[in-house]
Amino acid sequence: MSVEGAVKSFGAVRAVAGVDLDIARGETVALLGRNGAGKSTTINLLLGLDEPDSGRVRLFGDTPERAVRSGRVGAMLQDGGPIRRATVGELVSFVASTYPRPLPVAEALRLAGLTELAARRVDKLSGGQWQRVRFAVALAGNPELIVLDEPTAALDVEARRAFWASMRAYARRGNTVLFSTHYMEEADGNADRIVVIDHGRIVADGSGERVKSTVGGHLVAFDLAGRGTEGLGTLPGVVSVEVRGDRARLRTDNSDATVMALVGLGRLKGLEVAHATLEDAFLALTQERPAEERVTKPKETV
Amino acid sequence: MRDYVRLEVRRTLRDPGFVIFSAGMPVLMYLLFTNLGAADDGAAAWKTTAMVGMAAYGALGAAVSVGTGIAEDRSLGWLRLLRITPMRPRQVVLGRAVTSSVTVLPAILTVLAAGALANGVRLDAWQWAVLVLLLWVGTLPFTLFGIGNGYRHSAQTAGVLNVATLMGLAVIGGLWFPIEAFPGWLRAVAEYTPAHGFAELGWATTDGHAPGLTTVAVLIGWLAVFGSYAVTSYRKSARTP
Repeated sequence: MSVEGAVKSFGAVRAVAGVDLDIARGETVALLGRNGAGKSTTINLLLGLDEPDSGRVRLFGDTPERAVRSGRVGAMLQDGGPIRRATVGELVSFVASTYPRPLPVAEALRLAGLTELAARRVDKLSGGQWQRVRFAVALAGNPELIVLDEPTAALDVEARRAFWASMRAYARRGNTVLFSTHYMEEADGNADRIVVIDHGRIVADGSGERVKSTVGGHLVAFDLAGRGTEGLGTLPGVVSVEVRGDRARLRTDNSDATVMALVGLGRLKGLEVAHATLEDAFLALTQERPAEERVTKPKETV
Repeated sequence: MRDYVRLEVRRTLRDPGFVIFSAGMPVLMYLLFTNLGAADDGAAAWKTTAMVGMAAYGALGAAVSVGTGIAEDRSLGWLRLLRITPMRPRQVVLGRAVTSSVTVLPAILTVLAAGALANGVRLDAWQWAVLVLLLWVGTLPFTLFGIGNGYRHSAQTAGVLNVATLMGLAVIGGLWFPIEAFPGWLRAVAEYTPAHGFAELGWATTDGHAPGLTTVAVLIGWLAVFGSYAVTSYRKSARTP
C-alpha cells in the first residue's frame, strides 16, 4: 500500500497537504492525530472514496477502486449510522456475499462479539453494539487489508479491550491493518508502527519508541525560582522549553547532557527527570507552530 | 447482486409505512370508492375501472418510494459503505431498481384480489395475466423517477416530493376518478400524463384490446425523461458523496 504526495483540499481547506506513506503487507499501523488533522481524508483517499487533487494512491499495486473491487479491502468508516430494518446477521451475511473469499458469517460475528445479537435489528442496537457490527462488516469479506477509522470511539473499556484482542488476532493471520485514533495509548499498545498526522502532513513515523525520541525522549523539570528561561533552549540536548507555573519543563533527547548543563548553571531546585510519555510526544508534535519548525522526519519505508 | 436485492426487499417489506401506503391504502380506497353510494347500472364497470386505477395508484406509490429509501440510505452512509464492498455502483443502482420491481407486486396483487374476491370483477384468465404483467412493467418510469429523487434530495425532501408527485399524478391521470369527469381542456392534458398512460395499459386490457399507440408512445417518452433524470441525479451525487 502506498501513498505518494497526496493532496486533497475541500474549498480553501487543505485536508491532506502532501502525504507520503508506504505500508508493507502484514503491518499494523496506527494513524494518530487530533480531530481535523487529516486522518479520515487520508483514509478516504486510500479507499478510493475521494480522489486526490494531486499525488497517487496504490493498493496492492493497483488503483484503490480496483483493489476494492477484487475484494482485498475491508473498511470501517467513521460516519454511517445503522441502516433500518435489517438484522445483524442479514447485514453481515450480505456484505460477506459480495466478497470472493469471505469469512464464515459465524466467525465474523464471533470475532466482533456479536454472536448473541445476530437476530437483532441493527437500528435497535446501542452505539457500541453498532460499532461492533461495523467491525464485523469490515471483517466479513476476509480482506487482506482492513482499514478502521476511529474504531473504538463509542466503546466502553471492556468492549475496547475485546475489540483490540480481535483486531490483533486478525492481524496475526498475516493481514495488514491500518487504524486511526486520537488515543495515544491505543496506538502504542496495538500498532507496530505509529504515523502521526497533523495539519494534513505526516509529522512522525515509526515505532512508539522512535516517535517519542523524535520529540525528545526525556522530560527534565525544575523550579525557576523567579529566574527567567533565557538560554535554556540552547542547552545541550534540549528540544523544547515549556513553563508551567514556576516550573520549567525541558524536553530533551539527551537527558544526561541537559542535567550536567543545569548543574553547571546551578539550577537544580526541585529537579526531576522522567521519560516522556507518548502523550507528551503527541502533544509536542501537534502543537500549533509554523510548518518549517515542525519536527519532520524523512520518509521511512518499513 | 441477488443477495443485495434480497436484503433490500426484506427491508422494504418490513416498513409498516410502505405496506400501509402501497398496499393497504389503495385496497381500502378501492373498496370505499366502489361500495359507497347507490349501486346503479354502471357499478360493475366502475368496479373494474377503479380496480385498475387503484392497483396502478398503489404500484406507482411503491415504485416512487424507492427514492425515499435511497435518500435515507445515502444520509446514513449505507451507499458509501456499499462503495467499499466489491459491488459496483452500477450494480447497486440496478439492484435498487430490481428491488422496486419486486416490491410493487404486493400493491398490484392485493387490489386485483380485492376486485376479484370482494367486488366480483370477472375477467378472462389471459386478461388477469396481462393486467398483472403490464401494470408491473409499466412502473419502470416511476421507479426511475423515484431513484432520481433519491439521489438528488434529502430523505425528507424526497419523501415529500414523492408523495406530492404521486397524488398529483394519480388525480390528474384519472386513477382515482375517471378523466371523463374532467373539463375538456384538463382531459386533453391528462391524456399525456405518465400515470394516465400507465393505467391506460390496464384499462385497455380489461376492455379486451391492446393499448393504443399514443399511450405506448407517451409512456416511452416519460420513460426516457425519467431515465435521464435518474442518470443525471446519480452522476451528480457520485461527484459529491
